[in-house]
Amino acid sequence: MEREVILSVRDLEVSFPKGKGRFIAVRDANFDIYKGETFALVGESGSGKTTIGRSIIRINPTSKGKIIFEGKVINEKLSAEEDRQVIKNIQMIFQDPATSLNERATIDYIISEGLVNFKMFKSQEERKAKVVKSLAEVGLLQEHVTRYPHEFSGGQRQRIGIARAMIMEPKLIIADEPISALDVSIRAQVLNLMKTLQEEKGLTYLFIAHDLSVVRFISDRIAVIHLGRIVELANTADLFLHPLHPYTRSLLSAVPMPDPISEKAKELMVYTENLHDYSVHQPSFVEIAPGHFVWANEPELEQYRELLK
Amino acid sequence: MEKKFQFVEIDEQASEHIAAPHYSYWKSVFRTFFKSKLAIAMLILATIIFSIAMIQPLFSNYDPLNSPNILDFSLRFNPPNSQNWFGTDNVGNSLFDAVWAGTRTSILISFISTAINLTLGIAVGAFWGYSKKFDKVMLEIYNVVANVPFLLVVTMMLYVIGYGFWKLIFALTITGWFGIAYFIRTQVMIIRDREYNLVSRCLGTPTSRMITRNILPYLTSVIVTLLSREIPVIISTESVLSFLGIGLTAATPSLGRMISQYTSFINAYPYLFWIPVSILASVSISFYIVGQTFADASDPKTHM
Ligand SMILES: Nc1ncnc2c1ncn2[C@@H]1O[C@H](COP(=O)(O)OP(=O)(O)OP(=O)(O)O)[C@@H](O)[C@H]1O
Ligand SMILES: [Mg+2]
Repeated sequence: MEREVILSVRDLEVSFPKGKGRFIAVRDANFDIYKGETFALVGESGSGKTTIGRSIIRINPTSKGKIIFEGKVINEKLSAEEDRQVIKNIQMIFQDPATSLNERATIDYIISEGLVNFKMFKSQEERKAKVVKSLAEVGLLQEHVTRYPHEFSGGQRQRIGIARAMIMEPKLIIADEPISALDVSIRAQVLNLMKTLQEEKGLTYLFIAHDLSVVRFISDRIAVIHLGRIVELANTADLFLHPLHPYTRSLLSAVPMPDPISEKAKELMVYTENLHDYSVHQPSFVEIAPGHFVWANEPELEQYRELLK
Repeated sequence: MEKKFQFVEIDEQASEHIAAPHYSYWKSVFRTFFKSKLAIAMLILATIIFSIAMIQPLFSNYDPLNSPNILDFSLRFNPPNSQNWFGTDNVGNSLFDAVWAGTRTSILISFISTAINLTLGIAVGAFWGYSKKFDKVMLEIYNVVANVPFLLVVTMMLYVIGYGFWKLIFALTITGWFGIAYFIRTQVMIIRDREYNLVSRCLGTPTSRMITRNILPYLTSVIVTLLSREIPVIISTESVLSFLGIGLTAATPSLGRMISQYTSFINAYPYLFWIPVSILASVSISFYIVGQTFADASDPKTHM
């Protein structure tokens, strides 16, 4: 069955001015996200995950490559109408619930902000009803509409952020480490909530995380990013069964195992780029098995093919 | 035994309930403000001075160019008494009438100029902090303006356009808003890139509403601070200029000119000098303290 691609990223490069030159935060990024799936982007701190998310939502300007949403290139100047469509259809859940809410606005204003911008209601009653409904969807109460953000806990604030994105009825949601700033006890609650909403609304997620243990249970496919470069991309099952790139393997070795004996025997792998010798053969992003991509050169690919056998 | 424990329904919603009373920003501002005894005293003082200065001159018909009692020598240099509460001056005018007429001028000039400077400063500053292109141009202009002393600009302006109530206001505001605009610009830049503003951008919020809903509410306390500083600054600038004989024509009553005229009597008739000086100081200090306390109170960090 041919699945419908909702977002494609092609040869993306994002750079920031640094001193006299530019610092390249993301390079050669290539991936497709299918409609209705959860696509995870995993990498350590500073690897460029947020940067990719923010360039898709068009906060970060891109320096090379294309971002294509529903067949339309969106990282270039769009007409006002196209711009509105993209804003409405791609929403983001931000990394830090402590800084992503306007402290001087009521919950009513915060949740309604997008509705008002897009005039998505006919009367004030309808607007209020939509706000209450979306609060209820994330488990918050009607009485919260007149409250201010500082009166809520971290988990509640993150759910406010989710409600604010959901009310726009977007097609794609970029969730930037939505649970990393939360207490361990409520992480599952927020993840389950996101999962339920995805099923109800047929949403597509780009889920950003910095370790594999979180994404294992919620994502369909995983891309692993290291220092601004996507080094491996595969189905969740394939990636856990046949990790190819040494960086992926080092990340996997860091995933805690539930069995204490094998956890004790486990060898932690440390990854350095010196492992690769790219002086003769240049690496590229190759589909080594159906749907399984890896950043490697010819001799490495030989080796990996052996592993897959 | 089996009666001791009972099954209860779990109410998921109960844990979401917020027990604290509703927070209201402005209520909290006033509650915090009225906690300060000094601020209350100064607010009363400022209100009294303001009311007398606005009302009394309407009835006294004091005119600095007209001295009806100039021939009555018995009315000269009367010390404060039950008839003339502040005494009389060298030409037999009531100092009470003169002082309040002068205070009225000072307050009117400072309020009008401050209103103009603050409105322009905030409007331009907010836009300035938002637009990178506008910033480049404005910084060039600002570097020139900021390097010319304010008093020099005002004096030169007055020299060109002449003296008078509105001309003085014009001179005080022609560049007076620039400093405020620059200050607001910097504040806006600090707040502009906070994450919740990126969120608003992703929700398609237009810039104008970003300024009014995302930026300016965070600047209330900063703006009130500016206000409480600007009013005394303009009052003292006006009196310094009048003291030097610049700015207002002789037809406009002025505390500054009064003080300069009465300086020569400081030893023989000290009340002539000290009464206008203390009224001037009370105006500045009371407005300043009220403003500062209000600025502190409007910072939500003080509401806890
Ligand atoms: N606006 C910016 N200007 C300059 N450099 C930036 C900017 N944003 C990000 N960077 C740099 O780009 C690199 C990638 O940052 P990014 O925020 O995308 O990392 P991340 O993978 O999201 O990390 P984390 O897990 O800590 O959130 C970092 O080295 C960061 O310093
Ligand atoms: Mg990040």
